Amino acid sequence: MARYAMVIDLDRCVGCRACMEACKVENNTPEAAFWMYVFRLEEGEFPNTKLSFLPRPCMHCDNPPCVKVCPVGARYKRVDGLVATDWDRCIGCRFCEVSCPYGVNYFNWKSPKMNYYLEWGDPTVQQATNGAIPPYKNPDLDRAYGPEQRRIAGSGHLKGIIEKCTFCAHRVEVGLDPACVVNCPAFALIFGDLDDPESEVSRLIREKRTWRLLEEHGTEPRVYYVGGAPPSTEAHQIEAVKARV
Amino acid sequence: MATRLESKTLPYGVGHLTVAWYVVTAFLLAILALGLYAYSRQLGEGEIVTGMRDIGTMGGAPWGIYIAFVVYFVGVSFAGITIAGMVRLLNLEHLRPIARMAELLTVITLVLGAFSILADVGQPLRALINLPRYARPMSPFFGTFTLVIAGYLFASLVYLYLAGRRDAAIMARQDTRFGWLYRLWAAGYTDTPEERERHRRTTFWLALGILPLLLTAHSTLGFVFGLQAGRPGWFSALQAPAFVVLAGVSGTGLMIVIAAILRRALGATRELSIGVFRWLSNFLMVLTAAYLYFMVVEWLVSVYAAPSAEARVAAAVFRGDYAWIYWLSAVALVASFVILFVQYAARNHNLALAVIAGLLVNLAAIGKRYEIVIPSQTHGTLLPYGEGLYRPSWVEYSVILGLIALGVLLYMLFMKVFPIIEAPESGEVA
Amino acid sequence: MQTRTVVALAVLTAGVALGLVSYFFLAAPLGRPTDESFSNPRVPFAAALFIGGIVLVFASAVCYELIGVRREDGA
Repeated sequence: MARYAMVIDLDRCVGCRACMEACKVENNTPEAAFWMYVFRLEEGEFPNTKLSFLPRPCMHCDNPPCVKVCPVGARYKRVDGLVATDWDRCIGCRFCEVSCPYGVNYFNWKSPKMNYYLEWGDPTVQQATNGAIPPYKNPDLDRAYGPEQRRIAGSGHLKGIIEKCTFCAHRVEVGLDPACVVNCPAFALIFGDLDDPESEVSRLIREKRTWRLLEEHGTEPRVYYVGGAPPSTEAHQIEAVKARV
Repeated sequence: MATRLESKTLPYGVGHLTVAWYVVTAFLLAILALGLYAYSRQLGEGEIVTGMRDIGTMGGAPWGIYIAFVVYFVGVSFAGITIAGMVRLLNLEHLRPIARMAELLTVITLVLGAFSILADVGQPLRALINLPRYARPMSPFFGTFTLVIAGYLFASLVYLYLAGRRDAAIMARQDTRFGWLYRLWAAGYTDTPEERERHRRTTFWLALGILPLLLTAHSTLGFVFGLQAGRPGWFSALQAPAFVVLAGVSGTGLMIVIAAILRRALGATRELSIGVFRWLSNFLMVLTAAYLYFMVVEWLVSVYAAPSAEARVAAAVFRGDYAWIYWLSAVALVASFVILFVQYAARNHNLALAVIAGLLVNLAAIGKRYEIVIPSQTHGTLLPYGEGLYRPSWVEYSVILGLIALGVLLYMLFMKVFPIIEAPESGEVA
Repeated sequence: MQTRTVVALAVLTAGVALGLVSYFFLAAPLGRPTDESFSNPRVPFAAALFIGGIVLVFASAVCYELIGVRREDGA
């Protein structure tokens, strides 16, 4: 059985946020939901400032607080390490969201149909796009996955439930890497099987110095960072995020 | 309307519908209607109509006043059954007149707590089915759902039912529209010494059984917050006991207010004597002192050596965006304690002052619940997301007001069907 | 008097047993979640059974008070 993990090479990341775009397109996430997010951080006072970039997917922790607190078991840990959300069972209590130290959960505050960037039914939009079909949603996102056969992939299913990064479970199922990994122009994101000693993630973890975010909280994340350093308490985002539903 | 219902021989205003009652009921129904309308908007459009948003990149708080009021309502329910239980367990006979109004407060506020949870979840129908079907003991919500909403509510209903049989039997002998209800409730109660003795024994053990359930239930509610290591400001061993104590404070305070209102409305100066208020005031004084102790300890620990994220939350609470709520609540609690202590020391209990203290502690409890729930979400992110903002919307205020109106309505309706104060031991209608 | 006590105690014991069994053996297992089994109840509606156990515990009080009561209306 595979044991998936991700390694993020901060020496390669340039903060372009292509991974954020790729994730959004692949998973059909609604407005202001960033399953993959890249911090653009600044430390110090001008002119002695330091820039750093920190991609933050879901950590798919081995001791996941979100799984522990889910009252109905909609959020669960798969044997292959992915922490998945069954969108058929979720009751939308948002307990996982408040318990996550990393802030990776997104709740559908409104119906996802009403929450995309373009009003696809609008006649002017239809004209501009030459009547292109409404946002293409990969039908794979509606299927059941894993030996447990539960529906855990993609976003935009219904309002009133929580969704988060799935390590692209629907892609992993057929042997592909997550969308963010495949689209990174600097090859800063690496995904693979820890049980395979020859996989790149195993090699990197073995050969390089790695660290994990908020390790001291005992969550045992499956996302390892190479290079860079954990954000200091002085680090702040260069620009405040303006995306709010 | 001269019907059988208006018989003035029925005790404590049962069946006696005055103009004032109709006016108040109409007003409450209007507020309830507003709450229902607001909730319908939420069901239709989603929780986007509230002020809640995601933690992190959205800089919001996914848990808002719905959850704060869940905690408040369940907290108030604590005192009701505790007081009723203490009457039995400690033989506080002079408090017996408030036992039923306390039990009713528990039952109604638990129902309001359950409705607040349903108002908060994104998929309420799913919650109703999936919680009984899939609920996991490892989740702190399991305790809230099973012990508090289901177990505790049922136990309190049983208590209310059994304690009311004698009055039901008395009412069944009167000529009223609800004879069928009273006979069903009384279930053949005969006021013989053996039956009274058996009833005494049953309610004693029932009270003894409810108290540990109560403590566990309130502690699990505290654990909902106290076990979240990822939420600075919440993660603390103090949460569980502090929740239990503040629950006692708010509930006892509300009991004083309710008893004072009923004393005036029903003219029950004999049953609801100053002695009753003296006991409640002293009990409230001790609980308030205990909670103030918790607040001082919490403050000291935060300002002495808090890690950076906790320090950020503490700064927001003590000096920043939430300072006004925190300090107003603290001042209200201290003022209330001073009022109660002076009365205790001078052995001179004034009803009006007791009511003021009761109101103050409830306002403080609401403020404190808000201050526990919100700041750790907007200002307590462990990754450098920046500050957040939460402002409740009209939908949230309306739903909460609607729920409070529903509670008052249910209370008033009960009082018109069943005597809110137990008939005296002699068995004669007052 | 005997019937009443026996029935009440039986209902109480059944309630405690049902509560304990459903909490520890029928609902989702406790412990660090390493796979899907920690997020599913072992028996469906185990939580409802747990609530049923608590209900039985307090229903025993009703049993004790009501059993063997001579109904006034002869029902």
